[in-house]
Amino acid sequence: MTEQGGQSSNQESRARPGQRRMAQWMRDYARLPGSPDEYIGQDGAPRPVWTRFFDAFAALSPADIERRFASADRHLREAGVTYRAPGDTSDRIWPLSHLPLIIDAADWRQLSAGIAQRAQLFEMVLADLYGEGKLVANGAIPAAAIAGSNEYLRALSGVRPPGGRHLHLYAADIGRGPDGRWWVLSDRTQAPSGAGYALENRLVLSRAFSNLYKSMNVERVAPFFEAFRDSLRASADRDEPRIGLLTPGSFNETYFEHATLARYLGFLLVEGDDLAVSGDRVHIRTVAGLKRLDVLLRRVDSNMLDPLELDASSYLGVPGLVDVLRKSGVVVANMPGSGVMEARALLGFLPNLCRRLLSEDLMMPHIATWWCGQKSAREQVLSRLDEFAIEGAYGRGVPGFPGNAPVLPGELSAADRDRLKDAIANRGIDYVGQELVRLSTTPTWENGRITPRPFVLRVFAAATPNGWTILPGGFCRIAEQADARAVSMGDGASSADVWIVSDKAVATSTLLPAVDTVRIRRIAGVLPSRAADNLFWLGRYLERAEATMRLIRALGTPQRDPTRGNSTGSTPALHSAERIQRMLVAWGATSQTARANPQKVALEALQSEEKFGSALSLVRSAQRTATGLRERLSPDAWQVITEMADRLAVEVHDDDGVVSAAELTLQELASFAGLAQENMNRAAGWRFLEMGRRAERAINTTRFTRQFAYDEAGDEDLDALLTLVDCQITYRSRYLLQPLLAPVRDLAILDPYNPRSVAFQVAALNEHIAALPSLKEHGLIERPQRLAVALEAMLTTAEAATLDVKKLFALEQDLLNLADAIGLHYFPHGPNASRPEKLTGLA
Amino acid sequence: MIYDIRHVTTYSYETQVSFARCSLRLEPLSDGGQTLISHNVEIRPKPAERATRRDFFGTLTQSILIETAHRTLRIDSRARVSLDRHPPARDAVSPSWESVRDVAVEATSLGPTSPVGYVFASSLVPVLRPVTAYAAASFPPGGGIIAGAADLMRRIRTEFKYDPKATVISTPLKEVFEKRHGVCQDFAHVMIAGLRGLGLPAAYVSGYLRTIPPPGQPRLQGADATHAWVSVWCGAELGWIGFDPTNDLVVANDHIILAVGRDFSDVSPVDGVIVGARKQKLAVAVDVLLVE
Repeated sequence: MTEQGGQSSNQESRARPGQRRMAQWMRDYARLPGSPDEYIGQDGAPRPVWTRFFDAFAALSPADIERRFASADRHLREAGVTYRAPGDTSDRIWPLSHLPLIIDAADWRQLSAGIAQRAQLFEMVLADLYGEGKLVANGAIPAAAIAGSNEYLRALSGVRPPGGRHLHLYAADIGRGPDGRWWVLSDRTQAPSGAGYALENRLVLSRAFSNLYKSMNVERVAPFFEAFRDSLRASADRDEPRIGLLTPGSFNETYFEHATLARYLGFLLVEGDDLAVSGDRVHIRTVAGLKRLDVLLRRVDSNMLDPLELDASSYLGVPGLVDVLRKSGVVVANMPGSGVMEARALLGFLPNLCRRLLSEDLMMPHIATWWCGQKSAREQVLSRLDEFAIEGAYGRGVPGFPGNAPVLPGELSAADRDRLKDAIANRGIDYVGQELVRLSTTPTWENGRITPRPFVLRVFAAATPNGWTILPGGFCRIAEQADARAVSMGDGASSADVWIVSDKAVATSTLLPAVDTVRIRRIAGVLPSRAADNLFWLGRYLERAEATMRLIRALGTPQRDPTRGNSTGSTPALHSAERIQRMLVAWGATSQTARANPQKVALEALQSEEKFGSALSLVRSAQRTATGLRERLSPDAWQVITEMADRLAVEVHDDDGVVSAAELTLQELASFAGLAQENMNRAAGWRFLEMGRRAERAINTTRFTRQFAYDEAGDEDLDALLTLVDCQITYRSRYLLQPLLAPVRDLAILDPYNPRSVAFQVAALNEHIAALPSLKEHGLIERPQRLAVALEAMLTTAEAATLDVKKLFALEQDLLNLADAIGLHYFPHGPNASRPEKLTGLA
Repeated sequence: MIYDIRHVTTYSYETQVSFARCSLRLEPLSDGGQTLISHNVEIRPKPAERATRRDFFGTLTQSILIETAHRTLRIDSRARVSLDRHPPARDAVSPSWESVRDVAVEATSLGPTSPVGYVFASSLVPVLRPVTAYAAASFPPGGGIIAGAADLMRRIRTEFKYDPKATVISTPLKEVFEKRHGVCQDFAHVMIAGLRGLGLPAAYVSGYLRTIPPPGQPRLQGADATHAWVSVWCGAELGWIGFDPTNDLVVANDHIILAVGRDFSDVSPVDGVIVGARKQKLAVAVDVLLVE
């Protein structure tokens, strides 16, 4: 063979360290007994695509390799690629296996044909099941094998899928069996996850090993996503359709992926609460009123989609959605109810169905499966019970046994084994027996060597007007333990990029872009109310955090200005400190009892986990809010918030620590503000972030002024105020005097040129409100604008001399009302408003 | 027999409700033994949209949309129905329960009356081992399906305590079974769970009972509200037969069927989502009078 010959002659010509490393890796690579392997074929020889890869890989020095791996990990961390395992309350960093899974293009072509055929078959079966019902009537599928599935939605029986098809995206979990063929382990027809992670893995790995990636002639994944997006667009019944990606929300384990896909595909990321049924259509609640939605790519399970007709306890769906489907008012991908094809009970019937519907043989085998609802199959399984893995016939988990994993009868206690036997004998319809197969392993990188690990590969297929197109690559999960079928991201598993590589010469590689470039597109032109609400609150939380920080810093910094005497003769420094403490208590940053000790107060206000108003809690609230905005925030902005929260949680012990933590945080807040100012698109979203910030700053500044520039305030208090509102320099440059009441009040409240004054904030709010779309058509001025205009007029005409505490208090109330009015007007359905609830009781 | 039915559902809210989208399943069905003569529903406040269709189970479902702010939602349903049912006696000869079980899964239809839709766990009726074991005592090997179902119904009637205060709509079946108390809905769910555990098709029926019993007979439990019982598939020949575990009765001409489904969630007479109410109070009044 030429390949081998080439290798040996090369060995002579370059006696390199790379060669030695390669040889060492080969020697150390111990295949798992009984398992086939991706790298080393059945014949004991390395597969050529892998040899090519490792030749190039080994040419890199060990230090270089580690550096590149570290850079990949850093990118994942910085981009915030995360997931949640069931039960997690915070996100985990995505564990990426550093070596790709490599599949030969010829192998892949065959596999793709099998996947496309399967998708096509499922589509035809679904059309019949929810349509004419011939397959059940003539016995090709037992009715019981369908009726047992929770995903067979009776409410959709007889409903033709809008857009003309049930399946838009199909995925299969596959593995390579001992015979060298790819086997289907399970099908995903409901709402397959993982494509977004596959995308992210590709971006990271192709960047870390750009030359290697280029030289390998790896097929690009971007065209698949473009085809998918274009097909969804084409499925709508108007030209420029609005498409939403429906997510269960930021607590979902794969929320990051939803945000990634929405951003990448240019879809709106929406939750059930963002949508409303009106007329025969689904609409998005936006800051400009209800806007028609044409296509919904869903990541919410079917049964959760409509509390009126499906699971009544669901808060994730849209009441009335099923009825809109009946009237063909929205395309939902995949059509609710398509998950019924995931039932294992159906596997055994697929070969016959394929011959009947497509007049061809099923190309891809699946794990041999016996549905115990049929007598002969049941008897077979019961007679050789220990030779099978027992699975639920329909959903995840085995009825009567805990967890989601298959049950291996041979490993059960005698009592449990008898219980299983009884259950299968009595209600065989609920169980399948599956053949135990050892699947192949793939090389992973561990401590400077390569090691074989079991894996499961999820491949994706998208329906296009020209048939099914397969994502060249996929989502590969790698197991720690030997049975790869239990792989979920929960238990110590990692994921790998998947490279489909041509074994021909790499001459064409220069024609390919170096990496998959993300196609930049604008977020569709509407801003959902929920996103606006989140942006508004993000602005408010960050501004409140800033104000709290200023209070803390003032508390930790003794008055050190020697040029300024103590004109009142009292001990006003203490006095100011007490006022600061009082404010921190009022804001929920510290508790009353700590009042005596300023240092304790500062520490608590800085990083208390319990106090909702502590700087740490505020930044965490901002972070939580930002989580719901992942598809709208730049990675840099997200990173600033994350780092801030992480650093604030690190304990400090003394005044110096408090002050430096406060200063650092203030700098970070400023850098976030800078990022928003310089980098955020000036579409409506930016305005809501800004309005939140402006409203909160106006409120805080008024409150500071009321507290420190009260009618009898001494110069120490006024000095403290100038520091809190960051106006020391302006004041000094203007007045060259010790602080006096009227000039200080004028500067803090009325001065339209001072970017920290209340008047400046109100003017900015006015500008934003005027630029936002008007909701009503009756031509009257809307409430937020009415309040803001009145406030601006008042502030423009007021005189500092007459601004007493009473007026300041009234101003504070007006500002609070304005903030509320903005909330009520633009996001009446936001998280703070009442959400739909169920009628209760046994009616 | 002809009955006049009045069924008034009133929701009172603590605060104004600005929006309501509801499904109403209030029209008694027509089948072999029951004929609907007339039906009318009045809703206050008046809905902005009102549409009717038959759901999968054949129940006439009204979808209503209310956009008028309101504190009270009143749904007043009146129906006239004639009954002419001739159920078998509880000791009638019937196929063995094992044969019913085996035939049920051979069905070649997914339609609403196909037994295969009623042998699996459903959202409110899980299949639980202790409940299955409980039911198994009524089904000796080779025993007839009717005798078994009747015996199970009798045992639930005698061994469970009727207690309207013991359970709410969300009380799980497991708890009802362990504590042996509940209302008609709970008893129906327990009986269904036991039958399905054995692989037998069992459906949930919602409906009404005649309010005033025939002279000399006791007033039936559950007559002043909507009622619930169980329908059991007894083989292709006998079809579906009603069993009322709350009253230990094979369903004849005292029961008016409103809707049939897998469990309560398929048939709930008034169901919906509202926006605005902090607290809600529900009152249901049912009157079933014998006309002739």
